Amino acid sequence: MEKTDQVEILIVEDNPDDAEMALRALKKNKLANNILVVDDGEKALDFIFARGDYKERSSKNRPKIILLDLKLPKVSGLEVLKELKANKKTRIIPVIVLTSSKEESDIVESYELGVNSYIVKPVDFDKFVDSVNDLGLYWLLLNQQPSV
Amino acid sequence: MINNAQYCLILSLVLIAAFVCAISGAKANCFPGDTLSIASEPDYPPYCIIDEKGHADGFSVELFKASADAVGFEVDVKIGIWKKIMNDLAEGRIDALPLVGRTPEREKLFDFTMPYLSLHGAVFVRKGTAGINSLEDLYGKEILVMKDDNAEEFVRREQLTDKITTTNTFEEAFRTLSSGEYDAVVTQRVMGLNLLEELDITNIEALNFQVPGFRQDFCFAVQKGDTLLLERLNEGLSVVIANDIYKELRSKWFGPDAGKQKSLKEVISIVLLILIPILIILILSWIISLRQQVKNRTKSLNKEVEERKKVIDALKISEETYRNLFQNAQVGLFRTRISDGQILESNEQLAKMFGYPGRKEIIADYKTSENYVDPGTREEMLQQIKTKGFVQNFEARFYRKDRSIFWASYSARINHEQGWIEGVVEDITDRKEAEIELRGLKVNLEKEVVARTIELNEKVQKLDKSQKAMLYMVEDLNRITAELKEERRKLQASNQELEAFTYSVSHDLRAPLRAINGFSKFLLDDYAERLDDEGKRFIDTIRRNASKMDQLISDLLNLSRVSRSEMRLSDVDMKSAAFEVFDDIAGVQEKKEFEFVVGDLPHAKCDPTLIRQVWGNLIDNALKYSAHAKIKKIEILARQKKEEITWCVKDRGAGFDSRYIDKLFGIFQRLHKEEEYPGTGVGLAIVQRIIHRHGGSVHASGEIGKGAEFCFTLPRSHND
Repeated sequence: MEKTDQVEILIVEDNPDDAEMALRALKKNKLANNILVVDDGEKALDFIFARGDYKERSSKNRPKIILLDLKLPKVSGLEVLKELKANKKTRIIPVIVLTSSKEESDIVESYELGVNSYIVKPVDFDKFVDSVNDLGLYWLLLNQQPSV
Repeated sequence: MINNAQYCLILSLVLIAAFVCAISGAKANCFPGDTLSIASEPDYPPYCIIDEKGHADGFSVELFKASADAVGFEVDVKIGIWKKIMNDLAEGRIDALPLVGRTPEREKLFDFTMPYLSLHGAVFVRKGTAGINSLEDLYGKEILVMKDDNAEEFVRREQLTDKITTTNTFEEAFRTLSSGEYDAVVTQRVMGLNLLEELDITNIEALNFQVPGFRQDFCFAVQKGDTLLLERLNEGLSVVIANDIYKELRSKWFGPDAGKQKSLKEVISIVLLILIPILIILILSWIISLRQQVKNRTKSLNKEVEERKKVIDALKISEETYRNLFQNAQVGLFRTRISDGQILESNEQLAKMFGYPGRKEIIADYKTSENYVDPGTREEMLQQIKTKGFVQNFEARFYRKDRSIFWASYSARINHEQGWIEGVVEDITDRKEAEIELRGLKVNLEKEVVARTIELNEKVQKLDKSQKAMLYMVEDLNRITAELKEERRKLQASNQELEAFTYSVSHDLRAPLRAINGFSKFLLDDYAERLDDEGKRFIDTIRRNASKMDQLISDLLNLSRVSRSEMRLSDVDMKSAAFEVFDDIAGVQEKKEFEFVVGDLPHAKCDPTLIRQVWGNLIDNALKYSAHAKIKKIEILARQKKEEITWCVKDRGAGFDSRYIDKLFGIFQRLHKEEEYPGTGVGLAIVQRIIHRHGGSVHASGEIGKGAEFCFTLPRSHND
């Protein structure tokens, strides 16, 4: 794991298998650098706002992208999303919701909270790699964040 | 002796007195006849003396009595010496003095009436004395005066001479002069002359010239402040002067003025001077008074005339009012003879009521005794009126002149002396008829009420029963509602459970599949060189099955969502929907190969999302099962009936064995091998479920190798 101040991609995922597959998919897309995986919503918020276990890091260094699972222990993915988008400093961070469900209520609610993109984790790993590839290229290479 | 100036004075006094008399009218005699107590000196001739009988007498005493009498007083005269009687008056023991010379000293003690006499001084000398013709001639002469007399005051004041000798009395002075001593005596003329006569001195005479400045005014005196008596005495004095008593007294006591006798002409002119103004004033006063009286009387007479006129007018109006009332009254007014009921007096209304053209015709023609329809009622009325004196609202039927009958109500009183009955009568036929009708109606109404009451009671009883039944029903309903609520709550709870379950399935069931598929792939990628072809085939099989299971889960969730999702009905253009769905799901190759024909499709009222799923599943099936067919044609058509519309998708594909038609729409049911036609067997189940939710039905027909037709029917009520 890289230094927390240099994290570019934050993955919030409680299933280690899914996390590993995501990392592998990113790696296949040459996006393996500076990735941090946290396994619940609370840790994700602590990291982003530099508190709790992450109070040593500078909150000015924000990840360039967050991959967020919805079904999480403690603080759910929707709650994390809500908090991020309610804060002026963090709402510009692109958030991509990763979920195994196509349940409409999840999709609608995520978009209402201001999610930037949404993908269903496909069972077929190849499709997953393609999706990550598309997203990574789009968000990290083509889209420059405004510097705040 | 009384000169013109005095006359003028007297005249003016008289005028004032006359005027007072004229104004006050009879007032002068209205005062009480009190007795005045006065006192007189015994020897002041001729003013105050004593007669032979010892009573007071003299000019002043008589003048006082006459004046007092003129204003209604009696007088009681006492006699006393001057000094004493003067004190008596000053201290109030007497009311007045008849003769008091007015001097400044005395004015402090008494009030004085107007002077009735002014005495002038004179110079007395022995007869034969020459050289004294005026007061100036006295200078150097020896003069005698009585001590303290006003004569002494006068000669000293005027300094008539430087040789003044005083005596105690004038008698002494005159006797001294008579004896040849001294040159003159100065005293009052009248008193002096009288005294000389009394003393029988003849050699002394009064010089015949005036002594200006030596004059004394004599008045009646009253106690200081007794103004009431003073006024009365002044008034009396004026009257006495005016009516000549004064003159008579003067003549009596002083005799006719020899040498001063007035001529007849003078007397007449004086009399005229006095009398004419008095007369004029009296006449004027009388005229004024008379005019005033006439004026007052005229005024009161006018007033009286006016009032009488008013009374007469009022009486006229009143009479007219009563006449009008009597003649125009809307009720009949009558007077009848008790004995036979003969009409003696009537108004027009009464005549009309009894069928006569006018009051003249009814009077003396109509006898009530013959015209009572029920003669008994007349007897009854007579009995009542004789005992009570009146009847009130007595109702009876009468015959009119033409023998028609009417109802009358009358009130009347009896006049026993005149032997008649008088009163008012009203035709109440209409009222009576209405009453009778009302009575009839009332009886009917009562019957009706009884009948209705019975009817109502029956209805009430029925209603009671119904109400009870209703109450039971309501209780049942409440119970059922409560049960329904409970059921609904349970349903909601189970729905929530189902939600949670499907959510869990969609997330948790997939994660292991992803891992199986993903890690199998990692195995193939990372360890390919260590696996032979058989090993790789196994891994592929694992991956394929994992994907299939994912597909099954998706389809199941789909089916579940169809059941759970909320339906939103709207008007859907079915033709466009079919085209769009085909466009979505058909691949490029399929679009080239297939003939897609859509007929005239009516619109439908349904949930657009769900109906697209129906079209999707049916068209997808048609494509899939036509994959190996020679004729690749899909037709979409509709059949309309009165109650419903049916839409169908027809293909020329594999078809099916109609024996298994029942299994077509069952879940996970398949009639073909998966190797031939992939699928999970959920599509048609979803179609059926959606159509059932819309209240419609699905059906299919087909033949192996010739094609199939899948149809769904929606009721028209849904489409209207």
